[in-house]
Amino acid sequence: MKKKKKILVVEDEANLCLLYREELTKEGYEVTAVTNAQRALDLIKKGDFDLIITDIRMPAKDGVELIGEVMQIRRDIPVIINTAYESYRYDFLTWAADAYLIKSASLKELKAKIKELIG
Amino acid sequence: MIERYHPFLHQFPASGSKELQIFSILAQSFFQPFSLRDNLLVILTALTAGSGLGFNRAMLLLNEENQLKGEFWLGPASAEEAASLWQVLSKPGVGYAEIIEHNRSLVMSEVNPLVQKIKQVAYPLSPPPLTLPALAASSREIILVRDARHEPLVDKDFLELIGVEEFLCIPLLSPDEIFGEIILDNAITGEAIKSRDIELASLCGLAAGNYIYVTKLQRRIMEMKKQAALGEMAMFVTHQLRNPLVSLGGFVEQLLSPDLDERRKQRNLKIIQAEINRLEQMMGRLTRFFRVEIKEKVPVSIKEAFKLATEAVKSPVAQKKVRIETEIEPGLSVILSDPVHLGEALRNLMENSLDALPDGGLIRLRAYRENSEWVVISVEDNGRGIPEAIKDRIFEAFISTKEKGLGLGLAYVKRFIEASEGKIKVESEEGRGTKIKLFFKAG
Repeated sequence: MKKKKKILVVEDEANLCLLYREELTKEGYEVTAVTNAQRALDLIKKGDFDLIITDIRMPAKDGVELIGEVMQIRRDIPVIINTAYESYRYDFLTWAADAYLIKSASLKELKAKIKELIG
Repeated sequence: MIERYHPFLHQFPASGSKELQIFSILAQSFFQPFSLRDNLLVILTALTAGSGLGFNRAMLLLNEENQLKGEFWLGPASAEEAASLWQVLSKPGVGYAEIIEHNRSLVMSEVNPLVQKIKQVAYPLSPPPLTLPALAASSREIILVRDARHEPLVDKDFLELIGVEEFLCIPLLSPDEIFGEIILDNAITGEAIKSRDIELASLCGLAAGNYIYVTKLQRRIMEMKKQAALGEMAMFVTHQLRNPLVSLGGFVEQLLSPDLDERRKQRNLKIIQAEINRLEQMMGRLTRFFRVEIKEKVPVSIKEAFKLATEAVKSPVAQKKVRIETEIEPGLSVILSDPVHLGEALRNLMENSLDALPDGGLIRLRAYRENSEWVVISVEDNGRGIPEAIKDRIFEAFISTKEKGLGLGLAYVKRFIEASEGKIKVESEEGRGTKIKLFFKAG
């Protein structure tokens, strides 16, 4: 059997964490969802993820900082930014990400982007 | 040794030279809290004050939609009236406010024939060929007219209105705009306009132009600030609404799928219910924020207010091992306030304190008198304090350190306190704690 692709979701809203985990699991991915960026970073150091999906505005460490640190240790993992904020698009630190999505009630776009990046 | 002087004089130097008097008035117009119209009126006063030195009458025309429109006409209708008017400035102890008060009634007076006439005039600033008075403003030149009846460049209706042979037109300008024009004459004394009068008048014209320019810029900046704040607010609210909406949309979609088991259906419905509650709370907070209005102050029991506020945060207090202390100065039992807003304000402050105490700590509610004028209610915690970076902005709406906060808590408290004619003070040190003091008028 083909090995499942591993996705790490970083999202501080617990309900959205649950939603993304369930929906992406249904799509056939192995999903880990965490509600803070520090925890995510610890997992990235140890784990072997194929894709990271992160929110930007989170308490303590935010998504932009997370991306910066991921770039230093695992430049090879693609990153999707999934945020409520349009404005961070103009922050050059977010340009390192492979995609910038605005959170939507429909997960179609997110799912399509994941497929495009990791199949 | 040093000597200190106020940046401007409270009274005009009645004994000084005419020039000094005019400069003193002009310079002060920038510092006065009066309206643009009032300050322009004072500039006209400066131009017309004192026989033999100033002009007898001054007319102000302002550019409205490329037309010079009559605004007001300052001056006596007769020699007798002139004598009394010209005494205004020479009285000892006359200040800015007195001049405004005196002349405001003069230019608004229903019985003054000049007042009626000036309101009806309008002279287009284009297209050419133009006549006076519009010509002076349009060509950005000071123009002195003599023998007006035989001058083809003077508008005939204007000549009839002003009724003098000699008058001076001073344009009010900025580098790229025409604001209006001042027209000066000596209708009462019939004295000839001298070159020194023109020099003084041109200075007044420049000052008035500068003054209008600055006032307009100020207004534009205020407007832009308002727009920016509104934009920021709209953006913030949109973002705050997006998370619950995404969650609602996602879980509803799952509900619509035929293979969702009963247990998950129930779970999703609960999540949906919670998200709707959250949206409703956000709306409630926004509505309260925009509707802070103190209709009537009633005596509110401080003890009761503290009790209600403590009740409202009971569950997070228990979870976080936070201790609450209350202290009310003996003999102090009520303050005059709006109980609903006061309760909401205290709850907001306590919630902020709780957020600043993630690992537990102390919140102290106190009520005490501060001299005979104020009663203070303070909310103090020994939490992490307000970050230096946002210290200056804590009262602005939609600024928050919390991911889920609307940034309305302190902005709301401030609005409430201002509506109550009180004041608010913040003492905070990073790592040590925060104390917010609400001042209410005593008695």
